[in-house]
Amino acid sequence: MQITGLKKVLGAALFGVSVAGASISGVAFAQDYPFRDITTVVVWGAGGGTDSINRMIMSEMETHLPVSINVINKTGGVAGSNGMVYAMNQPDDGYTLVGLSESNVTAAVQGGWDKKFEFWHPFIVGGSPDLISVPANSPYNTLEELVDAANKEPGSIPAAASGSGSIHHLNLLAIEKGADATFKFVPYKGSAPGQEAAIAGEVQLVVTSLAEQAPLLQGGLLKPLAMLTPDDVVFDGKTIPSAFGIYEGLDAYLPLKQAIGFAVHASASDDVKAAITTAFEKAMASTVVSEWATANFYDIGGQSGDEASALFSNLESTFAWTLNDLGVAKVDPASLNIEKP
Amino acid sequence: MEFLSTQLTGFLEALVYLASDPVTYAYISVSVFLGIVFGALPGLTATLAVTILTGFFSNKFPLEQSMIALIGAYVGAIYGGSYPAILLNIPGTAASAATAMDGHPLAKSGRGGEALGLTTTASFIGTLIGTVFLLAFVGLLLLVSKNIASPEKAMLALFGVLLSGTLMSPDLPLKGWISGLIGLAMAMVGMDPILSEDRYTFDWSYLLSGFQVVPVLMGAFAIPQILDGMRSNLSKQKPLPVGRIIPRMGALFSRMGLIARSGVIGTGVGALPGVGEDVAGWVSYGVGKSISKDGDQFGKGSLNGLVCAEAANNAAIGGALIPLLVLGIPGSPPAAALLGALKVNNVIPGPTIDPSFVLHVVAILVLASFTMVLMGLFTARIFILVLQIPQTVFLPIVLILTTIGSFSVGGGINDLYLMLGVGLVVTVMNTMQYPVAPLVIGVILGGLFDETFRRSLFLADGDLSVFVSRPGAAILLTLNVLLILSQTPLTSFIRQKIRLT
Repeated sequence: MQITGLKKVLGAALFGVSVAGASISGVAFAQDYPFRDITTVVVWGAGGGTDSINRMIMSEMETHLPVSINVINKTGGVAGSNGMVYAMNQPDDGYTLVGLSESNVTAAVQGGWDKKFEFWHPFIVGGSPDLISVPANSPYNTLEELVDAANKEPGSIPAAASGSGSIHHLNLLAIEKGADATFKFVPYKGSAPGQEAAIAGEVQLVVTSLAEQAPLLQGGLLKPLAMLTPDDVVFDGKTIPSAFGIYEGLDAYLPLKQAIGFAVHASASDDVKAAITTAFEKAMASTVVSEWATANFYDIGGQSGDEASALFSNLESTFAWTLNDLGVAKVDPASLNIEKP
Repeated sequence: MEFLSTQLTGFLEALVYLASDPVTYAYISVSVFLGIVFGALPGLTATLAVTILTGFFSNKFPLEQSMIALIGAYVGAIYGGSYPAILLNIPGTAASAATAMDGHPLAKSGRGGEALGLTTTASFIGTLIGTVFLLAFVGLLLLVSKNIASPEKAMLALFGVLLSGTLMSPDLPLKGWISGLIGLAMAMVGMDPILSEDRYTFDWSYLLSGFQVVPVLMGAFAIPQILDGMRSNLSKQKPLPVGRIIPRMGALFSRMGLIARSGVIGTGVGALPGVGEDVAGWVSYGVGKSISKDGDQFGKGSLNGLVCAEAANNAAIGGALIPLLVLGIPGSPPAAALLGALKVNNVIPGPTIDPSFVLHVVAILVLASFTMVLMGLFTARIFILVLQIPQTVFLPIVLILTTIGSFSVGGGINDLYLMLGVGLVVTVMNTMQYPVAPLVIGVILGGLFDETFRRSLFLADGDLSVFVSRPGAAILLTLNVLLILSQTPLTSFIRQKIRLT
């Protein structure tokens, strides 16, 4: 009790000081953001893609801000809902950011929380493009050969992707629809185990991101067949063709690309958003970010504001309705007013 | 050969890299010191030391530094248990139970210093032997493990739980299996890995991600130890006096063969899934007793017996890390805690583990063993003083560390309730002499077993013959069946028949 009493007194004193300070600086008060350290709550584990990207971009943004940014992790829940709920419950004053990725858009339909993604004002740093690969000793050398084999006996070729409703699973579904083939989807806990299964010959193809496959492609353990993005990619001196050039109808379903970045409450004030956007844009323009992206096989995003929101809302509707169609959505996307893609 | 030389150069690079960073020395000396203290204090085990540091480091520090701290504490604690074993006849950890057999009689006859010195050097060489095997085998096994698919993994996981249950049980193997089954059942809670259905979550979102490893480890290894320690009064005894500690080179060199053999046995036992340093010590001691010329002197104060136990239990560390790094199957309970640390840091052991990470682990083990031998030979008197700290002082500190550790993993207050719940259940199990290690191994390997077993069936369209048609899986299945059969009344009946005729 004594301590809380003391805190109250201290709080009141601090409040008095800050009110006094504000009245002196007058109009400048609103422009003062940020005047204390910012905390970024990453909703995925330390060492993962979202975590390392946030740590990288935050340390770069720090150099353009008068304050420090601390990055912490709050994992767990459903599709990162623990961290999002935690950040949601913090004041929308821009001192709590949330580090997230495209996978978080499923939190609502999976029952993790009851907000649409528009609760956030997102900033996209980038993402690594997905591709379809086969084991090094696979008989298939092109996407056509693989699809033809699948068409001979639909559902016979096992395909690995991380868990139901992940970005990689959605990419696999999209290629099935676009190329009119049926594989046998085998879910794995994350990309690494799926890739290991492909190397062990347990599955005959795997869909994960270029960043995740890079060491295995370089080591000759996996053979890349096609990028699931519109452009060919030159990797290690060899061209990986885009699946878009092979199957015409693909652009109706793809690209569905990773979007990793961070967000602030959409309800935050315009000044706060503007200050973060400025720091974000300066950071994105730096060589640190571009070098990091090249070295790790990420594509630079850089979207913020309406553009980023539109990207996320497209991801949200695709993810939500796909999960609904698969019968694994706990909450009907219609009841959340998520539009059909 | 070429492979070995690349491994060796990689290891040397890692060693130089670590040795050139001053931070390494701070971490390694503090962690080895802490490890020895934990090992020396009766009631605090090596597993506990590694577990507490796992929780404490969590993912807030760079992985490399966490690994230095965890491995340093591991090596230190396995060795540290020998102090009270020799000087008080109380094994500081289960791993040094065999050490007490000869160590204490030696100390009683005034040769405590000699025993400690030889123990220190034997532990040192033992650790290095285990490390050499780790360096040589992990690379080779990683190449082979690329072909290990779900059916083999499922059978290996099951084998780990069963073997741990069989060998870690103080009386009946059945009790070990029951403990393992409880662990397996706990692993089923959460979102199922194949169909993404909730299982036993009762609509509580905390349970969706399943029971987290770190709070379970804390509950299983720390809480019962603390409760037990507070009830007993071990530290009233005065440690026996100690003379010269630095061993005579002659005494050491004449036992090199013995140390090498014990080291190999220790590594082998350590590499068995879920079977730890204590079994390694006993097996090596048993082998030594039956084949040494002075075997009849074992237990009466034989330096050879002491060396057998101590070289083996430390060698088991390197052994225990082999299946951990290659397959994600911990070779001992402290390795299970290490696996928890790897998981928290998103390192997935297996064929695609970063080879340089393995080399770093090997380099850290080497540094830790050197730190251990220096501390053991020159600061042993500090550790002897530690033996006199009353439990009422250090156990509450351990409880606080445990609580912080469980909480810091990020699951919130529920993780603390989980830790307490598991702790109370395990305390009851301890009283009824059910081993706890199989439970923890069950929790850790249960998820792997569940996922790989069901995925095997999914891929084979429900055809159980997939476990027989693949040679690897068939061999492992046979091992599992033999292990179970070997413990049934039928086999003991047959054995008796054979003996009678």
